Amino acid sequence: MITERALMRRVAEGDAQAFTEMVNRYSARLLTFAWRLLGNRADAEDAVQRALMRCYTSAKSYRPDWAVSTWLYRITTNICVDELRRRTSRSALRRAAENQAGEGRDVLLPAADGGSAGSGRHLDLRRALARVPREARVLLALRYVDGLSYRELARVRGISLNTVKSQLARGKSILRAEMTGRRRTAAGAARAVTTQGAER
Amino acid sequence: MTDRSTVTHDAIDELLIAYFRPVPAGADLGRRVLDRLRDGWDPGRFAGRVAIEATRRGISLVRPGGGARPPVSRAAKRLIGRAREELFDYLQGRRAFFSVPVDFSGTRPFQRQVLELTHRIPFGETRSYSWIARAIGRPDARRAVGTALGRNPVPILVPCHRVLRSDGGLGGYAFGLDMKSRLLGLEHSTPVLEGCSTTGIVCRVGCSAGRRMRDDHRVVFASVADARSVGYRPCKVCRPAA
Repeated sequence: MITERALMRRVAEGDAQAFTEMVNRYSARLLTFAWRLLGNRADAEDAVQRALMRCYTSAKSYRPDWAVSTWLYRITTNICVDELRRRTSRSALRRAAENQAGEGRDVLLPAADGGSAGSGRHLDLRRALARVPREARVLLALRYVDGLSYRELARVRGISLNTVKSQLARGKSILRAEMTGRRRTAAGAARAVTTQGAER
Repeated sequence: MTDRSTVTHDAIDELLIAYFRPVPAGADLGRRVLDRLRDGWDPGRFAGRVAIEATRRGISLVRPGGGARPPVSRAAKRLIGRAREELFDYLQGRRAFFSVPVDFSGTRPFQRQVLELTHRIPFGETRSYSWIARAIGRPDARRAVGTALGRNPVPILVPCHRVLRSDGGLGGYAFGLDMKSRLLGLEHSTPVLEGCSTTGIVCRVGCSAGRRMRDDHRVVFASVADARSVGYRPCKVCRPAA
């Protein structure tokens, strides 16, 4: 199989076939990363397409001291993070409207896996992830979609190795606290229901 | 009893691994990307051809093509050069704000009010004609707002393309609707906050200090607070936190 750097050289020369090959290699991972970060497939596909367009047009400026995957994740992450920024400014308006209508507090998107047995836990995890600060969430996504190393994560986000470690640890501890708390209240509610049924 | 222990370090890891398991992308993604790239529009050429006029106070006219009157003063000439440069950067997706001043003195009071308000619509956001009408205290004047924006002497710099119909329709645009949606698309894909990974400074995109940044040092942030949380500090030139 042709190495990723050789492939990148061909992309820089404008070889459309090499580009398609590169897209096939990385698209699933990039799409999942964007999807989990942005919450829906349509926005994720748009973000990935824009990232790949950027990659094609700036392939000449690619520096071989970067691993191609790290470089691609940097481009895709930049685009996704900017999309998240746009949402926070939009959602301030939407939140105001929702508060007026008195609804929309817990509207969740359907589970991405089409509602299989694990979707309940996915939902819990998604809720918990929403509580994790944005930078840590981005790092968690990169870490778990493709198992990027701390060094690669540091490069993708332009931060130090220690910051990567502390952000990941913080993100996970928030997740753990959220999941434990949630599980407890859910278990408590279930117990309450059973006792009620027994008494009757 | 063991609620806490059920979510151990490993359990969280497993959950995360399952949650982030790659889903296949459409097989024709590569072709769709190449299709999107086949757009013959050349922003550099557009910025080079645009006619710009200025007074010593600011830019007074931007028109696609055609001749412009020669600059009235040295200051005006400098402003025109700056506007052309900023337009070029903006159209290339390297600028998220304009710093060149605009001179509204040639417009009538109502139009001036509309244009000044439109001038303050943030990059990448949109408003409706009726929003503008309400904001200037003339809620019934939607059509008049449309007319005032239609005669905007300094399009792009005063972003009348960010004003849409309340029903989501594009409305009108002096440069044509294609250009309007192109500009909206451009703003959709231009980031606003960018940090430099070597200096650890975060700038507004288009800041003069950020120009020296190498492409592979650019890291996009969603907010200044996010950037601070991972050790970046805001630039003192463009002051993104302000």
